[in-house]
Amino acid sequence: MMPHDLPTMYSAKAVEYLIAVAFLLLFIPFWRFVDRERVTAPVAVTTARRWLGQVVDWFAVPSDLYFHPGHAWARVDGGDVVTVGMDDFAQKLVGGVSAIALPEVGARVRQGERGWSLVYDSKSVDMLSPVDGTVVAVNEQAAGSPRPSGRDVYGDGWLLKVKAPRLAANTKQLLSGPVAKRWMEGVCDALRARMSPDLGLVYQDGGLPVEGMARDLDPANWDEIARAFFLT
Amino acid sequence: MNETVPSARVALSWPREKLLMGLSPREYLSTLVTPFNFVAGLILLVGLPVIAYRFAFGLGAATNLTQVNPWGLWIGLDVLSGVALAAGGYVLACTVHIFGLKQYYPVLRPAILTGLLGYFFVVIGLMVDLGRPWRIPYPVIYSYGVTSVMFLVAWHVFLYLTVQFVEFCPAVLEWLGWSQVRRWALKLTIAATAFGVILSTLHQSALGALFLMAPTKLHPLWYSPFLPIFFFISSIIAGLSMVIVESMLSHKIFHDQVGPGEDVDLDAITLGLGKAASVVLFTYFFLKLLGVADGGHWHLLTTSLGHWFLVEMLVFVLLPTFLFAHGVREGSATFVRGTAVLTVVGIVVNRLNVSLVAFNWNAAERYIPSWMEIVTSITIIAIGLLTFRWVVNRMPVLREYREDQGVREFTGERRAR
Repeated sequence: MMPHDLPTMYSAKAVEYLIAVAFLLLFIPFWRFVDRERVTAPVAVTTARRWLGQVVDWFAVPSDLYFHPGHAWARVDGGDVVTVGMDDFAQKLVGGVSAIALPEVGARVRQGERGWSLVYDSKSVDMLSPVDGTVVAVNEQAAGSPRPSGRDVYGDGWLLKVKAPRLAANTKQLLSGPVAKRWMEGVCDALRARMSPDLGLVYQDGGLPVEGMARDLDPANWDEIARAFFLT
Repeated sequence: MNETVPSARVALSWPREKLLMGLSPREYLSTLVTPFNFVAGLILLVGLPVIAYRFAFGLGAATNLTQVNPWGLWIGLDVLSGVALAAGGYVLACTVHIFGLKQYYPVLRPAILTGLLGYFFVVIGLMVDLGRPWRIPYPVIYSYGVTSVMFLVAWHVFLYLTVQFVEFCPAVLEWLGWSQVRRWALKLTIAATAFGVILSTLHQSALGALFLMAPTKLHPLWYSPFLPIFFFISSIIAGLSMVIVESMLSHKIFHDQVGPGEDVDLDAITLGLGKAASVVLFTYFFLKLLGVADGGHWHLLTTSLGHWFLVEMLVFVLLPTFLFAHGVREGSATFVRGTAVLTVVGIVVNRLNVSLVAFNWNAAERYIPSWMEIVTSITIIAIGLLTFRWVVNRMPVLREYREDQGVREFTGERRAR
């Protein structure tokens, strides 16, 4: 049985209509309040941020990779296997080398210790491994024909696949995203400081960096320059 | 270009690879020594024997449930609150796949996992609560009972649990490295998502509809013919808030799961979800007012239960409405996250109010849960959290999966990009 008599029902309905109308009327100012975000970045800051985002200097620093300050990169492939290689800066600094001495499959590598060596002109320069672990695959094609031209250092130019059980701890020691870009800007500043006037048209003048910059900078002691950047 | 890369078969067994995360059993055990695990271990130590006791000696021995109060804490907390808080799965699936708001994709998979586990543990809670738990499949395979709302609830939970498993399947298959099957599963996901959203809208409201059968038992301020709508709308609020809370905790606890370049703008996502929650809460508040007006029970607001109703409405609905709005306006994700926690508490309060506090409000015999009921509920929640952590640590839930680089290198044969 209905508990309402007719007048009560009418008054209840009237209140319901009032609530519905109040909702619609109040929703307008409420939406205006919610939708207007007070915090907006100043135009200058926004423009500067956009400009900075486009500046990658001349060396590619993909945002989906981890970087070791010794110019090695690491990419987590899934699970705890990591693909490792030398970064674009290292490739352009050293240029074509006659061989890359990679560790054997099954060998252990440690973060910050020798991972592989670049060999050219009877000189050898070590590079550091970005992670700890066991080598599960080596890119023999990259090692056998290490001529860098046309090789994508972050793609088919990879060097090792490492099974890294301490991946979480390792990646905390590496650089990525905006931090890696800022680090690369610092590296570029250091490179500028080393540039000699007879290097020719390079990026300071609007040109692209030449591959094998270190040998152009100092043909006799290019390996020392490389070691300084590779931290070895 | 593909090139075959010589590689060696690594001497890691499947269990060590997939279950122990590449660690030796000893290393793995040493990682388990944490304060969280200590507390969880204590809960399990007390809770599991209590659950065993309940099954051995029955509901009468373990609970304060009676014929007058057949539904207690387990239904209020584990089932009703659990289902509402698991709504993040359908809310986010709808947002991303149906509304096309792809910017929320990064929080979709964790939301689906939360939903899947939420529903799974709802069923576990239900098993504990049922007098004859072995009959739980009856409404599905043996005795349908099509005239009961329970039929609706049972089928919805059964179907939606299946659908959520299908939705989450790609992550399981990625973990197993079965990329061929995964491609098929991904195709199924789209259909499952659409079906899942339909099921959710129906069964969230069906839980509200359960209480339509007890108009005299539920306090008039909570009882309303609109109960199914209230349950459905508030589940959207619960889903949005829960995704905010869950993503906050996940990104803090499982930070190392997120790779470089996979960093999402979680603050922007949080603000977007907060804005939606604020609007839905605003609407929900007015709907609840309509519920009171429809019954003509304004005078009951001055009673003690009326005061409690006002607390629910003002502290857990109206206050978060404006806190969310303020947080979004100020661009403060932290503020929005704090409000989401308050809202999640509010949803639990609402479900407990409907099923416990305001239920049998005028009966002489009042129900107060026994300590074993409380311990059981806490244990089920703890097992749910441990399962969530176990899955996130192993499967690509927060991290991106790359098909071309999967996890096949452990098997020896590997194709490099």
